[in-house]
Amino acid sequence: MLIQLILLLILLGAMYMTYRRRKQKAIRPIEGYLWSLVWLGAAVVVIQPDLTTRLARMVGIGRGSDLVVYGAVIVLLLLVFHLHIAHDKLERQLTELVRQKALEEQKKDL
Amino acid sequence: MKVVAVIPAYNEEKRIKHTIVGVLRYTPHVVVVDDGSQDQTHREARAAGAQVVRHAVNRGQGAALKTGTMVALSQDADVVVHLDADGQHDPQSLPDVLMPIETDEADVVFGSRYLGMKPEGMPWTRRWVHRAGRLFNRYLLGVPHEITDAQSGLRAMRAEAAHAIDFMNDGMAHCSEILRLVTRSDLRWAEVPVCVRYTEETLAKGQKASNAFKIVWQLFLRSFR
Repeated sequence: MLIQLILLLILLGAMYMTYRRRKQKAIRPIEGYLWSLVWLGAAVVVIQPDLTTRLARMVGIGRGSDLVVYGAVIVLLLLVFHLHIAHDKLERQLTELVRQKALEEQKKDL
Repeated sequence: MKVVAVIPAYNEEKRIKHTIVGVLRYTPHVVVVDDGSQDQTHREARAAGAQVVRHAVNRGQGAALKTGTMVALSQDADVVVHLDADGQHDPQSLPDVLMPIETDEADVVFGSRYLGMKPEGMPWTRRWVHRAGRLFNRYLLGVPHEITDAQSGLRAMRAEAAHAIDFMNDGMAHCSEILRLVTRSDLRWAEVPVCVRYTEETLAKGQKASNAFKIVWQLFLRSFR
């Protein structure tokens, strides 16, 4: 089916990007492996959709695509949570930096 | 007793001078924290006779207050006073806020806009909103219900108290955060009534506040349609 081809091409592209980022040492080895695993897993599911259906039945969900959506929602929520924490930390660090600079300049004025 | 007034200011070039001049009548030490203003707040503040600390970018009122408090403490302040820059706090209230500290009755004093105000004159909707706000503070934030003005920006604290309470919130939630930290510590706290200054500006603001209640009320009514 066409959708399978499109998805596989996108996943191939993602795999290539991950490989390049790893080569550039932009991501840690563990991150490279984990993302590769995610893309590979997705590719397997795209080629063999029945696999998810069997898995879904096992945990009591009717359709395989539902299982994928539920899983994706959970993963996305975790990512948002992680980003939220990271953002909060950055904000605090920025405030601290701005404060240090302000205090240093104030000392110079005295 | 060295009293240092800390005034966070963000784009307050028009009003900061008036506030500083008022405060200088009660203490010679005024620290203005220019929180990344785009206007001439820092010039106006310096010209009016305040020490100025400048945040390079806007970080919020809580962050500015903390910076100012650190400056005050580094200059051996005995008492740190927090005020808003916009002139909503009458500097005449300063002696009232400082009194419980001078007489050693409290370590932290909050100025309350509502204490001593007769509730009979207040519309019942407003009373209801206050009650709801207090319930929220009490059960969700852990602030005692005795606090009558949880959003007061006018407060005084002994240096030891200012050292002890480490407020983290950069934005406007620091009011509740400070209340929570103080009331849960061993520090002695007090609330004193502070007067409202009746200038055209504050009157306009008061008008806005009642409008806000009206809007909430209208939204409430509309939800039944």
